[in-house]
Amino acid sequence: MTGAIIMRILAGSGALVVAYFALKALYEEWPKTALEDQVTKIMMGLLTLGCAIVLTVALGFTGRI
Amino acid sequence: MATHAVSISDAEYEEVRSHRLLGFLLFLISDTIVFSSFIFSYLYDRSASPIWPPLGVERPGLYLAAVNSIVLFGSGVTMHLAMEAWRHADRPRFNNWMIATIVLGLGFLSGQAWEYSHLHDTWWGTVFGASFFTLTGLHGFHVFIGVIFLITVLLQTRRGVYSQTRYFGLTAVTLYWHFVDVIWVALFFLFYVY
Repeated sequence: MTGAIIMRILAGSGALVVAYFALKALYEEWPKTALEDQVTKIMMGLLTLGCAIVLTVALGFTGRI
Repeated sequence: MATHAVSISDAEYEEVRSHRLLGFLLFLISDTIVFSSFIFSYLYDRSASPIWPPLGVERPGLYLAAVNSIVLFGSGVTMHLAMEAWRHADRPRFNNWMIATIVLGLGFLSGQAWEYSHLHDTWWGTVFGASFFTLTGLHGFHVFIGVIFLITVLLQTRRGVYSQTRYFGLTAVTLYWHFVDVIWVALFFLFYVY
């Protein structure tokens, strides 16, 4: 198993775990209405987007080598 | 500072806190504008070049950056969990998640340092290299400041600076750390994926 494959597995599995917790946090924050909670919602949504990008890289769908 | 915080009424504290929060969000917006300026400069250079990266310039390592990104994104989640633990008055869990966030932040910086030390000689003197070092370096500096900010707030909580209802410093560091995470989403996409 090459270093690249190990890193892809690490990145892909890590992306799934982090995305799960980010979405869970977003779900829990959703009913809150304070200003910092609204900002946190945006940040968690963008964090999930970041995880999705890393996942597509790990799966080989995107990214240039 | 702690003495001052407890000497004012709840109503006064809420007013001061809302002003501080607005000021801090304006700071984050101004920082977003700084990053946006550099990003648009990079995009302009990129669109002006028929081949990107320029001929002879090798792209940075994709998979190492992907792993490093997950380390940073993971620190965003641990920071959120630390904040939730504080809100639920669970100090042991708060300390653990804060330490995890600091360790992950240092892990990201280590990964970035390793990447910098293994970059190709073909980058020197190119627009691609200049853009890469400017943006990722600026971001790395923000992460470094963020780690210091996290350590400071963790020490302050141990000294009893914040109470269960008055913890603006903790809110600020959480927002700052999420901001640093989100900026990296854009940089990772621009330099490694797009």
